[in-house]
Amino acid sequence: MNIMFGSYDIPLNIENGRFSISIEKAGKLYRYKREAFYGTEEKVLLFDNAKITLNPIEPVNKPKDITSYLLIEFEHPFVVGPGTSKPVYVKFPIEIGVFISNYKKFEILDVLTLVKQKFTLYGDPARGMICKYWESEVYPDIPEADPMMEGIMEIKIENMTSRWIELTKAVFNAYDMRIYYNQDMVSMRSRMKIIGEQTAETIFYKSPLRNNMKKSIERYIAGKVSVMGPKFVMEGGL
Amino acid sequence: MNVTEIYSSLPGEDGPVLKFFIVVLTIMGAVFVSKIVTIYLRRTFKEKMNKDHLEIILKLTSYSIIIVAIVFFVLPALNVEPSSILVAGSVVGFIVGFASQNIVGNMVSGLFLMTERPIKVGNIVNIDGNSGTVEDITLISTIIMTYDGLYVRIPNQTVFTTTITNYVANVARRFEYVVGIRYSDDADRAIEIIKNIIEQHPFTLKNPSPGVFVDNLGDNAVNIIVRIWAPSTDWYNVKTELLWTMKKNLEENDIEIPFPQRTLWFASELQSMQKDEIKQIPSDNG
Repeated sequence: MNIMFGSYDIPLNIENGRFSISIEKAGKLYRYKREAFYGTEEKVLLFDNAKITLNPIEPVNKPKDITSYLLIEFEHPFVVGPGTSKPVYVKFPIEIGVFISNYKKFEILDVLTLVKQKFTLYGDPARGMICKYWESEVYPDIPEADPMMEGIMEIKIENMTSRWIELTKAVFNAYDMRIYYNQDMVSMRSRMKIIGEQTAETIFYKSPLRNNMKKSIERYIAGKVSVMGPKFVMEGGL
Repeated sequence: MNVTEIYSSLPGEDGPVLKFFIVVLTIMGAVFVSKIVTIYLRRTFKEKMNKDHLEIILKLTSYSIIIVAIVFFVLPALNVEPSSILVAGSVVGFIVGFASQNIVGNMVSGLFLMTERPIKVGNIVNIDGNSGTVEDITLISTIIMTYDGLYVRIPNQTVFTTTITNYVANVARRFEYVVGIRYSDDADRAIEIIKNIIEQHPFTLKNPSPGVFVDNLGDNAVNIIVRIWAPSTDWYNVKTELLWTMKKNLEENDIEIPFPQRTLWFASELQSMQKDEIKQIPSDNG
């Protein structure tokens, strides 16, 4: 079976060209196995009745959960005129959460990814923060993307200043992300409000890019990680 | 009915033995309650709060419960009036302070450490030559678990007055290698290979960008300096992984890390002989 987002009954066996996941009955237990280019993972599961859900999650978990920030660097800097308020589109990396659920209680079992992982520093080492790194072109319209590898983020750029501002990057707080998906696209909608020459606020909208999209189970809601403030203030440069 | 009235209503309330038991039981009760409250708060907020903040709140709660028990239960049981505490406190404070200046010094240092916070629980530090992870910061001392798993207790006065190196206070840190290649090797190609290895590793930071350049022409090798930034939490793993990867990749591309060698020049030409010629030389013994 090719991998697709959605819910699956157990036992299951899903294969993609670059990874496979399976849950097989082993006596009174179940055995989860994932094989991917970055490694193999095996877990033993014990439950009475459960389902598996695969959906895109905040792309900050792989290869290790060391930050909750995603920095998207624009391939070419772009300049925003004073008072401008227009949407642009960028791509972001996809991480797929494998959730196990029982009576609406979800728990993350594994995280899959097909894209290259990289981290960067935003700001300086003393006051800055480690961010997951991704590079994207800035598109005027919704671009094509493989939903297993890249999602589309709409960024509504609002320049509140009276100056021309050059943007090279945008930083987002994963705790605030609202991810929506269907089988053709994974999307997020955000706003980047430029409030100074070196300062901007980023925040996410709770609405999908298209009508027929389903909201993802977000990892930090399904799990037990505390929720931080929603908006992110970029103070380390634009 | 207040606490003092309750105590005065007890039979034989003037008896020193009863007072002693009341004081001991009250303090034991306060310690017990503070432990219970601490355990409950730890369980409730363990996954919802920063570990370091939680430890401070737990300590404040624990000390507050004990202080409240002493002020509102122990002192009335001993018939000590708050006003007399002020008078007696200054005299007793002077005596106790003089006798236990080290303890008081440690406590004051502990308070400053908790306020200034040069180190936090979980940080990897070097204090007074002791390297390891900060396990706890109490009022009197700081506990470190060394890399060998040893328990080291350092008095707070020492912590406060000595040089502290906190390896994870900043979110990123830089480390460095010197990679020597042969003079006959292509240094540009070696730099390209090293840069490619760095780029492929997820934890080598994109920004600040790594620096790879020929630093000096050494006695035995062309020395390439490699400077890499990595998250403070993972830099050591990255450092240990990358060096061997670089060595293997360079060798796969016929670029070798040379052994130290020295070329000797003789004033007169050396005569060389084959093995069989050596055998034909007659020995001194015939």
